[in-house]
Amino acid sequence: MAPVEIRDLSKRFGRVEAVKNLSFDVGAARVTGFLGPNGAGKSTTLRALLGLVRPTTGTATFDGRRYDELERPSSQVGAVLEDASFHPGRTGRNHLRVLAATGEHPQERVDAVLADVGLLDAADRRVKGYSMGMRQRLAIAAALLGDPSVLILDEPTNGLDPPGIHWMRGMLREQASRGRAVLVSSHLLAEVAQSVDDVVVIANGELRGQGTLKQVLGGDDGPSTEVRAQDNDRLARALEDRGHAVQREADALLVLGATPEQVGAVAGEARVNLVALGPRGRSLEAAFFALTAESA
Amino acid sequence: MSALLRAELMKLRTTRTFVALAGAALGLSLLVVVLTALLTPSLTERDVRDLFTADFTGLFILLLGVVGMAGEWRHRTITSTVLAAPNRLRLLAAKTLSYALAGTLLSFIVTATIMLVGTLILSSRGEPTIGIAELADVLWRNLLVAALFGALGVCLGTLVRNQTVAVVAVLIVAFVLEPAIVALASDVGRFGPTVGAPNGILETDPFNDDSNLLAPAIATLVLLGWVALAFSAAATVLRQRDLV
Repeated sequence: MAPVEIRDLSKRFGRVEAVKNLSFDVGAARVTGFLGPNGAGKSTTLRALLGLVRPTTGTATFDGRRYDELERPSSQVGAVLEDASFHPGRTGRNHLRVLAATGEHPQERVDAVLADVGLLDAADRRVKGYSMGMRQRLAIAAALLGDPSVLILDEPTNGLDPPGIHWMRGMLREQASRGRAVLVSSHLLAEVAQSVDDVVVIANGELRGQGTLKQVLGGDDGPSTEVRAQDNDRLARALEDRGHAVQREADALLVLGATPEQVGAVAGEARVNLVALGPRGRSLEAAFFALTAESA
Repeated sequence: MSALLRAELMKLRTTRTFVALAGAALGLSLLVVVLTALLTPSLTERDVRDLFTADFTGLFILLLGVVGMAGEWRHRTITSTVLAAPNRLRLLAAKTLSYALAGTLLSFIVTATIMLVGTLILSSRGEPTIGIAELADVLWRNLLVAALFGALGVCLGTLVRNQTVAVVAVLIVAFVLEPAIVALASDVGRFGPTVGAPNGILETDPFNDDSNLLAPAIATLVLLGWVALAFSAAATVLRQRDLV
């Protein structure tokens, strides 16, 4: 059982279907990038996972249990949401003390996590005097307070300056290296591409791809192959059975992370006749854009 | 539950709102008591009793509860609060209880202070004072109203998320709507949550007609009923609301 499992999750707000039948897992000791353009449904999915939003259908669980069923949620899951907000008149340390009291964590953890995120010197300043970067660090400190095994971060690099983004990337890798399952959402591929092991790409509330970064997006200028067969569906199944990420286009398939030779070999094994086969060069960003395009 | 309660009380202690409202309630109540005790000639024991019934404290406590809960939405801290305590019914119960306790504490400080200062002034002027038993009687009534107002305020702050609208609505009900109902139909007005029922508990006489006050026990049940009604509505809304 994966630390985080989302199964057939849908969420409708009135006439708007924000998330449509979404399923994916987040593995332990890995950073999973949850990617998609603004309005794709990332935040709604994360909020449904965290029990802040009621799913219309489907489930979102941690080790098989809903967030609100966890006995000590902050000891199992740490979350940094996009609108991480604090009472402006409360100091950073007191904000964490309140959360420590709620989660029944030892008060000594407060200074420990403040030190982890480099905020110890500013701990007794009121939050209204914090910069955006300091607020993000405080939000991360709050998420780490219960030493959770799962970390969820919604657009954590928003508003951060380049040193802040650099720090965030290092922090994500460090958390995964400690065995934590890390799920980080972003609408900017470039900001997380260097930090993630796996990606889940959604657009318009729908899953568009999942796997390793290279499987889904082909790697940075990595191999991608455009192929047309007499039976595209059969070839797609054969490719997917062998672990290739396949993007279905109008009358062709785009195989991400595979060379024409590899695709040709799979077609041969599956006894599918090919009509056209060739490499398609593109950047990681272009692949992401293509995958999340509205018509995809 | 105790952890949640401890956390909510810590929230109250770690911002200036509680101190500011406590200071305002104490200052205003002291001003009224000092001026009345110094300047009013020939006070009766009933006048002294009414003087020590700290009317302003209740209103401040009601507002404290409203501001405290609606502030969770204003500052968008409701998300981190619910993440830390995903059982929203328990969260609301802890918040309601903590503001009831805070109201009791605030009322105790204000009532004890004005009783001490007022009694000293009245004694020095040779005016009548009231005995320990009657002071204690005033004190517990004040504490009871304060506790229920603290709880009511939290529930109202849950129902009306906009802090300004919630505060203005409470002030309109307390200073305009309920007094108007009392004036026009005191038989109905005495059941009101901010003027009628509290005055029944306190046995103060805004109607100048003791017969129109509810008996303290009945008034307590009526105010408890208002709190229960508000809590039920707040719990239903809070549990169903998507925090987007």
